[in-house]
Amino acid sequence: MSKYLDIKDLSIGYRKQGPVFSGISVRAVSGSLIGLLGPNGIGKSTLLRTMAGLQSALSGSVQWSETLPGELRISAFVPSQSPRAAHFSVEDTVGTGRYRYTNWLGIENEEGKQTVARAMERTGISHLAGRYSADLSDGEFQRVAIARALVQDTPLIILDEPTAFLDIANKRSTGRLLRLLAGEEDKCIIFSTHDLTLAMEYCHQLWIMTRSGEFRTGTPSALADNGALEILYYE
Amino acid sequence: MKKYWIPLLLLLFIAADIFLGSVKLPFHQIWSSVWGGEAPDYVNKIVWNFRFPKMITALLSGMALAVCGVQMQTLFRNPLADPYILGISSGAGLGVALFTMGFSAFGLNSLIPDAVADLGMASAAWIGALAMTFIIMAASQRLKSNMSLLILGIMAGSAGSALIGLLQYLSNAPALKMYVLWTMGSFGNVTGSRLLIMALLCLVGFTISFYNIKDLNVLLMGEQYAHSLGIRLNRVRNRIFIATALLAGSVTAFCGPIGFIGIAVPHLARMIFRNANHRVLIPASGLIGALLMLSADILSQMPGSQNTLPVNTVAALLGIPVIIYVIFQNKAIQE
Repeated sequence: MSKYLDIKDLSIGYRKQGPVFSGISVRAVSGSLIGLLGPNGIGKSTLLRTMAGLQSALSGSVQWSETLPGELRISAFVPSQSPRAAHFSVEDTVGTGRYRYTNWLGIENEEGKQTVARAMERTGISHLAGRYSADLSDGEFQRVAIARALVQDTPLIILDEPTAFLDIANKRSTGRLLRLLAGEEDKCIIFSTHDLTLAMEYCHQLWIMTRSGEFRTGTPSALADNGALEILYYE
Repeated sequence: MKKYWIPLLLLLFIAADIFLGSVKLPFHQIWSSVWGGEAPDYVNKIVWNFRFPKMITALLSGMALAVCGVQMQTLFRNPLADPYILGISSGAGLGVALFTMGFSAFGLNSLIPDAVADLGMASAAWIGALAMTFIIMAASQRLKSNMSLLILGIMAGSAGSALIGLLQYLSNAPALKMYVLWTMGSFGNVTGSRLLIMALLCLVGFTISFYNIKDLNVLLMGEQYAHSLGIRLNRVRNRIFIATALLAGSVTAFCGPIGFIGIAVPHLARMIFRNANHRVLIPASGLIGALLMLSADILSQMPGSQNTLPVNTVAALLGIPVIIYVIFQNKAIQE
């Protein structure tokens, strides 16, 4: 049995303003890359933040199919833009993702060091380890942020518009990397994007939030065939 | 790149602070007094009852203010944040102002004897600083973003200053002078049990600060990311506030408000050590803070002359050029 994320009748938004989007029910299996599409202001970030546990759901539930040991969280989150500290090395930046595993001073054991080294290798940033993260290009830093999420060792990784500030080549290499990681690390990776071409090319599944309040899901080709993608162009 | 020269320089400054002072003493007499040898009585007194405590006070204050400065700059993501950004100094100032001028403002100035006045001033300052910290902590439970908290701190500080201004306007000249002298800062009055109290409070403050290192590093990644790791920001913030109250609050209570060292030192430490990881930055700032404060103390004694300068003035004159230099050097701050 493969593991999966189970979202049941989820309603997202803020208590005072009421729901932004309701009636979301969907499953996401581990090993798959999922692209979340929809117009500006529809609630993509709110959904991602709710899944990441950054804000609470108004109703419904977000659950992982199996219980995790201890207080470990199910998801790692990659914000759309992270501040970059001056004089803070790439290795240390990735290391902050190990918060839950390191001792009180944040010092790693051997196993932890290997986890960090391996994540940097997987994301192709080993050669940047000693550089300051503030000096990296946007594309390089996005990989650092992904490595930082990887070392959190969660079954789910959530990224808020990871390709928004990247050039075409970096967009594609980030898409390729996410697809690779989903498969080889057996993770469920969900990201929001406005880049339909990118989502079509790399995602196993697309989730579309429409203005009429529908939450459509399916493989890119199935959604293209039944015309669901048209909505993104015209509404 | 090992920075062995910094601890060496620190030892040199510690020695210089003992050997140089406003009273000129023969070198060999100080030397033998320090090592427990034969020395005239007045030399022993000056060295052990005055210069040693003063040196330790300066050392502790420099470390404390610098370590607070780092934490405030990281928490608020603001290169101009200093230990007093949350209004701790005006809280302390208000305590002292109420103590020194409050009585005279109500026409009761002759009620406090001098001995009580001295210790009372430190306690009043401490209570004021702590009260201000608790107000900010209580408010911070309701404020999500650190930016609103920053504004709140500045407003609280200004409110404190306004009240102090009012008290100054209403009080008489001797009380006003007592208050103004406190604001100028001095390491000379912290001896014996007071030094012990200050050292203990600072020790607790340093311990909490070390415990904050891990969270401070994550705070550099942004509040949103820290939250996503499951960190309770309120708890982290409160721990940082408590460390600040203990460190900056105690220094201010016993030595007066000493500005600019707390802003300047963390920048110097980042520039010299080129590592913003708080595991390096916090001890590095402590070292450099101690160095800078010792040099401020040495200068304020004006070796060779009979006069002394208020330490706050010297610290400002030392700290401000450092800040300006760092701003010109550092691209990250300009952006």
